[in-house]
Amino acid sequence: MTAPRLLTRALVASFLTVALVLGAVFAVLSLRVRDQVRQSVADNLASAQQVFIKVEARRQQDMRASVATLAESPTLKAALDTWLTERSTASEETSVELVETVQREARKIAERVGADVLAVADGSRRVVAAGGRLAGSWPRGVVIGNAADASLPSARAVSVGSGMYHVVSVPLQLGESTIGSLELGTALDAHYARELADLSRGQAAILSKGAVLASTVSGPAARDLAAYKPSDTGGATMTLAGESWAIQPLSQLGDVTFLALASIDRAADGQTPAALQGLAWVGLGAMGLAVLGSVWLARTLTQPIDQLSRSLSAMTTGDRARSAVPLSGTSRELDQLATTFNSLLTSLASAEAEAEATYLGAVRALAAALDARDPYTAGHSERVSIFAVAMGEELKLDWEAMETLRLGALLHDIGKIGVPDEVLRKSGALTAAEFETIKTHPTAGARILRSIPFLAPHIPIVELHHERPDGLGYPYGLKGDDIPLAARIVHVADAFDAMTSARAYRSGRIPVEAIAELRRCVGTDFDGTSVEALIAALPRLVAATEPLDPKAMQWTPRARSA
Amino acid sequence: MMLRASVAVVVALTLCVGPAASAYARRYASELRRQSGGRVTGTVKLTLANSAPSPAGVYERRAVGPRPRAQPEIKSVVIFFSDLPATKNAPMQASIAQKDEQFAPHLVAVTAGSKVAFPNEDPFFHNVFSLSRGAGFNLGRYPSGSSRSQTFTRPGMVKVFCEIHSHMSAVIRVFEHGWFTVPNEDGTFAIDNVPPGDHTVVAWHERIGERRDRVTIRAGADTQINFTLPVLEPGQ
Repeated sequence: MTAPRLLTRALVASFLTVALVLGAVFAVLSLRVRDQVRQSVADNLASAQQVFIKVEARRQQDMRASVATLAESPTLKAALDTWLTERSTASEETSVELVETVQREARKIAERVGADVLAVADGSRRVVAAGGRLAGSWPRGVVIGNAADASLPSARAVSVGSGMYHVVSVPLQLGESTIGSLELGTALDAHYARELADLSRGQAAILSKGAVLASTVSGPAARDLAAYKPSDTGGATMTLAGESWAIQPLSQLGDVTFLALASIDRAADGQTPAALQGLAWVGLGAMGLAVLGSVWLARTLTQPIDQLSRSLSAMTTGDRARSAVPLSGTSRELDQLATTFNSLLTSLASAEAEAEATYLGAVRALAAALDARDPYTAGHSERVSIFAVAMGEELKLDWEAMETLRLGALLHDIGKIGVPDEVLRKSGALTAAEFETIKTHPTAGARILRSIPFLAPHIPIVELHHERPDGLGYPYGLKGDDIPLAARIVHVADAFDAMTSARAYRSGRIPVEAIAELRRCVGTDFDGTSVEALIAALPRLVAATEPLDPKAMQWTPRARSA
Repeated sequence: MMLRASVAVVVALTLCVGPAASAYARRYASELRRQSGGRVTGTVKLTLANSAPSPAGVYERRAVGPRPRAQPEIKSVVIFFSDLPATKNAPMQASIAQKDEQFAPHLVAVTAGSKVAFPNEDPFFHNVFSLSRGAGFNLGRYPSGSSRSQTFTRPGMVKVFCEIHSHMSAVIRVFEHGWFTVPNEDGTFAIDNVPPGDHTVVAWHERIGERRDRVTIRAGADTQINFTLPVLEPGQ
């Protein structure tokens, strides 16, 4: 199992952190939103109920006012007063017509004010006649409230028969005397509760002495409502049948309390999802941003590290991608790491270059030592190298090929180390066996170079510099284009230097002759392209090389004094 | 309750023995005319003007101009003999003015056949009407300075109202004999020339009710009788 990538880990870690924090924030927020929605719903209900209380108080006042106005009916007062006086007078018989008149007036007023029941009562609040929807439940003779109670408020809650009524009294006055009253009764029943509920745009309940007289809420909630205790602050929140309700007392009438109610839960249920949905969208957006942010963060963190690790792995596999790691500038630590790595690379490169230089020095020393074995071949390798490079320039070889050519040419005869001195220095003609010995030097050279890895590109030059285009060369007898160009160039340069150099057995030929000889042998011995390149480079070689190293460049034939 | 019971008894008696009594009364009246009567004096005391608790009004009582002087409640009481037979009396002239949106006086007592004038002394229209049984009338609306009259022939009580001003009311007691009076402001009263014998005297107020008492009248003598209204029942 491979370890996960750094990018993935950074991504997951940063995203998880952000998601966790965001999640916590949204959880807290959604709770708060729920609370706030509930609070605002409760506040709305409270203010709506406050408005309703004022409206309702005004409505009651208006009703009393209209009853008071209607009470100023001369017919009603005359009929009632006449009847009452006749009733209290032994010598008079009470008149049926008078009661009927009173009755008629009561019905008329009841109809005008829309009362459940409106009674005309005598001074003791005993009903004389009643009108209205519930007139039947206030028969004549019934006392509305306690007749002995002298401090009668204009509005009170009164129990008549089996029902409870909200009663507003308006006095009927004749001069300075009060002859009776109009009793405007509103039954505190489900009908009235519904009316209150309609007006308050919520629910309503009527409570008396810890019992619910009437309410518009369902049974279980109404049962719980019986536990309502009025508070000083007005509004209250109560749990009824498992739901939270806002309760606002509307008015108090003796033992009777009028309440406006509204279910906070039901109202909040409508608004909470909307608020939460908005929050969810914000959360989703935040998550998206978190993903983008963590991707960016992970990439910024891991990219320089990736680059570093790629450079390191390239180095260890031996590829020569040794360019310096760029400083990302994203963090001081990474830049320090890159700088350290770069200086490590630099020192490594210089160490390598030093090692190469050392090798090269050794090889060159070897080649020079080889050349020095024969006074006639002294400087040969250096000269072949110079010629080959010049020819390479004429052929427009690239830099790398030129380097290979330069070093390869320098080392081309390294294999001669294994050729005995007597064979190498023999001034006479070589025997067949001796020539065979000479012919082993390219393969021997290649064998030597193979032990040094950085000299691998030069092996073909060393191994094949005696092959000929006609296939008569050695060691393999390769033909034409099968021979690498570098080997062909070195072959021509080698031959040219050999021809122009003095030997123990002969003096060197002049370059013109050598060129002619080379030309003659194009196609058989020598590669045409290489020969032409040499001819083209020749003037430049004379000009450029001579002042630098007159000794080495002494390719004009002359005898070397030992 | 005693009051109610006694009223019921009187009503029942009146209904039962009415025809017989009327024949007897005619003979008795002619006898009375021959002899001189006695005199009843006394005092009426009102302990309570109005017993009903007054519920708080919605508005302040309406008042036009200065509040009119309240008439003494004692002037709304009438003292009369309830069991004396009818006599022939000369019609009386009485007047109830309409002033400061009230009838003044609030009560008049007259003999049957008397004419009561209702002069309008306010600077606006007034009306006089009654719903009392057998005596219902409506004098219509009439302007300031004018007067209309109504003759009352049926004995009993007539309540009078103004259909323009619903708080105005007056009461007229009509008697078939002359033995009645309205007390002075100090509550004292006197009825002269009452036929001797055992009689029932009544002190009546339209809202407080009535108090009855038996008196024995002797010819040429003063009989004292005092009333307290209303009748306080035991425990009250």
